[in-house]
Amino acid sequence: MRSFKKQATYLVTGLALFLTSSLGFANVTEFTLDNQMKILVKEDHRAPVVVHQVWYRVGSNYEHSGKTGISHMLEHMMFKGTKTLAPGEFSKIVSRMGGEENAFTSTDYTAYYQVVGKQHLEDLMRLEADRMRNVVLTDEEFIKERDVVTEERRWRTEDKPEGKLYEQFKATAFMNSPEHHPIIGWMPDIRSWTADDARNWYQRWYAPNNATLVVVGDVNPQEVYQLAKKYYGKNKPEKIEPPKPQKELEQEGPRQLTLKGATKMPSILMGFHAPTLVTAKTDEQKKEVYALEVLSSILDGDDSARLTKNLLRKEQVVASIGAGYDGTDRLTTLFIFQATPSEGVSPQKAEAAIWQEIDKLKTDLVTQDELERVLAQSEAQYVYHQDSIQSQATVLGSLVSVGLPADTIDNWVEQLRKVTPEQVQAVAKKYLDKDKVTIATLLPNGKQAKKSAAPLMHGGMH
Amino acid sequence: MKQSFKNTFYPTWLFMVTLLLSHSAMASVQVESWQTQNGAKVMYVQTTQLPMLDIEMTFDAGSARDGDVWGLAAMTSGLLGTETSKLNEEQVSETFNNIGAQIGSSVSRDNASISLRTLTRPNIMQKALNTFETLVSDSQFSQAIFEREMQRLKIALKQKTVNPQAIASDFLWKTLYGNHPYAHPTSGTLESVDKINLDNIKAFYKTHYVASNAVIAIVGNVDKTQAEKIAEQLTKNLPKGQILPGLVTPKPLTQAQSIKIEFDSTQTYYSLAQLGIERGNPDYAALFVGNHILGGSGFGSLLVEEVREKRGLVYSVYSYFAPQKVNGPFLIGLSTKNASASQADKVVKDTLNAFLKDFSNEKLQAIKDNLIGGFPLRMDNNGKILGYISMIGFYGLPLDYLEWFPKQIEKVSKQDVLNVWDKLIKPGKMLTIMVGKPQ
Repeated sequence: MRSFKKQATYLVTGLALFLTSSLGFANVTEFTLDNQMKILVKEDHRAPVVVHQVWYRVGSNYEHSGKTGISHMLEHMMFKGTKTLAPGEFSKIVSRMGGEENAFTSTDYTAYYQVVGKQHLEDLMRLEADRMRNVVLTDEEFIKERDVVTEERRWRTEDKPEGKLYEQFKATAFMNSPEHHPIIGWMPDIRSWTADDARNWYQRWYAPNNATLVVVGDVNPQEVYQLAKKYYGKNKPEKIEPPKPQKELEQEGPRQLTLKGATKMPSILMGFHAPTLVTAKTDEQKKEVYALEVLSSILDGDDSARLTKNLLRKEQVVASIGAGYDGTDRLTTLFIFQATPSEGVSPQKAEAAIWQEIDKLKTDLVTQDELERVLAQSEAQYVYHQDSIQSQATVLGSLVSVGLPADTIDNWVEQLRKVTPEQVQAVAKKYLDKDKVTIATLLPNGKQAKKSAAPLMHGGMH
Repeated sequence: MKQSFKNTFYPTWLFMVTLLLSHSAMASVQVESWQTQNGAKVMYVQTTQLPMLDIEMTFDAGSARDGDVWGLAAMTSGLLGTETSKLNEEQVSETFNNIGAQIGSSVSRDNASISLRTLTRPNIMQKALNTFETLVSDSQFSQAIFEREMQRLKIALKQKTVNPQAIASDFLWKTLYGNHPYAHPTSGTLESVDKINLDNIKAFYKTHYVASNAVIAIVGNVDKTQAEKIAEQLTKNLPKGQILPGLVTPKPLTQAQSIKIEFDSTQTYYSLAQLGIERGNPDYAALFVGNHILGGSGFGSLLVEEVREKRGLVYSVYSYFAPQKVNGPFLIGLSTKNASASQADKVVKDTLNAFLKDFSNEKLQAIKDNLIGGFPLRMDNNGKILGYISMIGFYGLPLDYLEWFPKQIEKVSKQDVLNVWDKLIKPGKMLTIMVGKPQ
């Protein structure tokens, strides 16, 4: 089945020639409060709506063994009330405004967001600034919410073999780096968290000098700044101790793992350590990152890209295939291939087909046509991503939270444009190395579902 | 910056997306509608701020039209436009990808749609439209591509047999709908898809992808004259065709039923369901408001309070109506560790029963505030507007539906909610499904 290929937000320059609309420029205004909280405002006056996000520079990559997942757990606890709000009241207030809200935790950041009519912005700031410093974490609420997170882990991972495979794949690819552990945490760690763990984590990271406010929508940047000063400006900064480096070890030989799970079809993941714009220290290294981004698009940017074209359509060795790389991660990341072999094709054969594509990249230069297509796609994606204020804000927040400049997005396509076929070949040779691969294979465990003759405990309702 | 298949975001709660329609006097989305020369319905909204255009063409060609070849509509939709008489598969893909245009298709029980997103720079837009038009009116179906996609479909169907959520969903439809055309899965079943062949695909395409059964939604930076031109261009080569007869009305269950499917998962995947309503049902506003109170609005809804917040039994619990051409289902869904399956079942049923008797005025007011105050958010981008006008067009809802519906919400009283729920929802005749190792 063909479906919309959700090509994630490619970032593209605001200078693309054909952007004749009034929004042609990504007009982001940046401020810093006296307490060192960063503020980014982007105007978008299409609807009387605003998205308000607060990003904390803490996530699963800040955690240590035994307490994995505590950032995500804390995110859940942030809805449990403050010195002046009852548990759940925050959400009720936002709901009555007609707002939508949620929060999410990732490897490098935890973010809280609301989308509301613009007249509610001030109230939101008051609420969110309160939540930054005044959350009340009770033991009772903590224990209940910990149970919720165990259910979340079962739903996301325990009963989803692909999820489990990805988790174990990362744990094998990274030995010392905190990329080793899942965002949600290992189940034994989750069970042993205490409310104090969450309190300490909150105290340590939730402070204005470790936060970024992002506002996008029908607003005036100066007014946003004044409001932010009034509410967030009151919060006292903390002394923020950066996490220990936990640098990943050099890999000295291929790694393999196998998982048996509730699947009918095998599947494979292959990954290689790769640098990012944050880990790159020199301009040369940064160029490598853009070359890897181009490489990833040439392999899997759209349905004309090499993996789909050659392996799924031409050779038909795979039923599904993809490649992924995110050059904006904070720590050394993975360049990943993922495939489900076709019926009757072994995982080894699918793997061999992927190696064949990798070898082509090392021996032959990519074509000008392929480069052109990557650029055309990226430029279009830039316009499309502006359709959503939420995705505009999310891109800005994530960049700043890993320590990249907000205008990374404005220079994105310019940087891709500079990438040469020789650079693509060079990064393929350097990083997609046979001795530095981690391969994870999912195999069927033979389990089946069967309809039970026994009636359920309760029939109808009374 | 590609968010690939890696699961980067762990939200605090899962938001069940239901199509919200609410409104206030200040909102201004100007929907215009007309017919093309050969009888396709056009729905159009102009937005001028971004140099982009979204088009969705929806046909009465969903799996409810499969007849006894289950999966035929879905396969036809999947193959639609893979080739045309002038372009092979690679050329079709490259035409769009070279100019940054995106095409997509989707299929459901009620309909099948194909969509285009493109920049409006003239030479790009024209190229995208010219090719898009041929995908719909001049689609070719090759044996080789069909066989490849059939192999991929069978893999997907096999995978469904070990996916507890999919198992629960398939049983739900099968049991609620019996012999009705909604009963089988949209993609067909492993047993049924061998009936699909190139001949019946071509025949399905010929009779279903016709102007009389088409709705074209257009949103973006084109003026009305351009939109008229585009709509004519996209339909001029389509056969006029016949309007298809309506679907029969499904019959509700006459008694409670419970189905248990043994599966080796850590959670039990649970649904409680019965028939709901059709699109355009006059009780919809009061049912919708009530559903938001019960379980349709995440935090603050009764089910989330009782099952998650008070007891920590689930990560996600929700309820929804899925109004369709004829009665779609109403369902409550959750997943919980096997050990608490029967406890969760009891809490859900107690919560539903209590709600059917009474709920607080304060809850009602809070939900109305949310629905009415949230209006600007539902319409704040092209993608969302496209979804609404496609739906309004396909289901033949009145053009002013977007203004009309929130006024209805405004008027809903507590007694209205209690009355319509009492009339429709029959706790003694519901279907309970559990997949897992429930205790």
